[in-house]
Amino acid sequence: MHTLADAPTAGRTWSDLDDFQAFIDGGGMVEPGDDMPDEYRQEVFRFIEFHANSELMGGLTERDWIPHAPGMRLKQVFLAKTQDEIGHAHLLYMVAADMGIKTRTEMLEELFDGRSRFHNVFHYQAVSWADQVAIAFLVDAAAFNSQRAVFAECTYGPYKRVLKRIVSEEGFHMRHGEEMLLRLATGTETQRQMFQESLTRWWWPAVHLFGPDSPPGDADPLIRWKIKSQRNEVLRQAYVQKYVPLLHGYGFTIPDDDLHQDADGQWQPGDIDWEPLKATMRNGGPDSARRIASAAANWSDTAWVREALEQ
Amino acid sequence: MSTVAVSLHEHVTAAVASVNDPEYPDVSIADLGLVESVSVSESGDVATVGLIPTFSGCPALDMIASDVEQAVLTLTDVDRCVVEWLPGPVWTNARLTATARTTLADEFTVVLRRKDGGLRCPICGSDAVADQSLAGPTRCRSIAWCDSCRNPVEVMR
Repeated sequence: MHTLADAPTAGRTWSDLDDFQAFIDGGGMVEPGDDMPDEYRQEVFRFIEFHANSELMGGLTERDWIPHAPGMRLKQVFLAKTQDEIGHAHLLYMVAADMGIKTRTEMLEELFDGRSRFHNVFHYQAVSWADQVAIAFLVDAAAFNSQRAVFAECTYGPYKRVLKRIVSEEGFHMRHGEEMLLRLATGTETQRQMFQESLTRWWWPAVHLFGPDSPPGDADPLIRWKIKSQRNEVLRQAYVQKYVPLLHGYGFTIPDDDLHQDADGQWQPGDIDWEPLKATMRNGGPDSARRIASAAANWSDTAWVREALEQ
Repeated sequence: MSTVAVSLHEHVTAAVASVNDPEYPDVSIADLGLVESVSVSESGDVATVGLIPTFSGCPALDMIASDVEQAVLTLTDVDRCVVEWLPGPVWTNARLTATARTTLADEFTVVLRRKDGGLRCPICGSDAVADQSLAGPTRCRSIAWCDSCRNPVEVMR
């Protein structure tokens, strides 16, 4: 039986990009010892680096909310989620660094200098506990759906193996999100009001997470090389179909005046303004500077631990 | 014990075993060694399930307990299911069944440390696996790296 732990056949070479494409199209999995095309190495590396940065920035945010989580059990949940995200970042940085383009330290320093990128949702500030619930319910679900679609194909072996565990754990976070939302949705009017305000703040960032439409045809190398199994717009649309009725069911209002059902009953959002997403990709989002400075301070404050470990 | 009670006990045990771990969706909690005891009241309507956690700070405990309760309550003969987290015996990875070990290694590339302290890569079979970090993404796992096939490997503690 074919499993994720099948021993990689190391050291394959391909005569040109067409030959490599045929290998990918035939269901091939690329391993670190293979002489993969440089274009593939660069694209996959950038994608994993972005994912690793996002896990790290996300983990630091979860950490900030441990003291504010209401009650012992939710503190435990946030503690565990923090450990999950930082652990995921650790695994992803190992896989990325092994690709030989940047060292782990280079990736981290670029991130803390504001020269790297991470998920748009971590460029906004969570101002209330209900924001954390909205993040867990909306954003974790968006991230889960997008990661699951990468796992579905994912031709780079080490990344696929790590994604298997990441996707399982994110699924677990989603259940926590649903549980926390249920508590607010069935709570007092104040609790419902708090969640409504958070939904108004976080709906669009969650929708933006999937990115603008993928370039036409197979112009996106990540689709061509089967790192992504789905186009951005397909994932985004599936997400909207699922979450609009769920949120309406709880009696919440989605901050989109033009949201409507088309003739086929599909929920269609109004025109999406992509400017906020573009700003986050330049590290110019509403909370980018504070987040990056906080992550950088965390890195420098813990230098003594790394030094002690090296001795 | 009547034949009926024995069979109900078996049904409850099977229902409990049908619950998978929230973080390893392909692995049963029974195979992970979390199920310590299953009993059914004399009248047959109350099932009591004794579970032990892998690590006491595990954030999945409430979820697992509620999944177990739901699974047992699908049995028409059971009116109530009591799930208890037992203070002992303490979980060790020796409680994992062969099935759990195989799935963890083959699907999650998670392995157990050998008695000699060494690690064998679940992907390529090499012994060239070195510990990287005592803390992994969960309380129950640490992180290692296989130098031979260049993959991260996680170790069930």
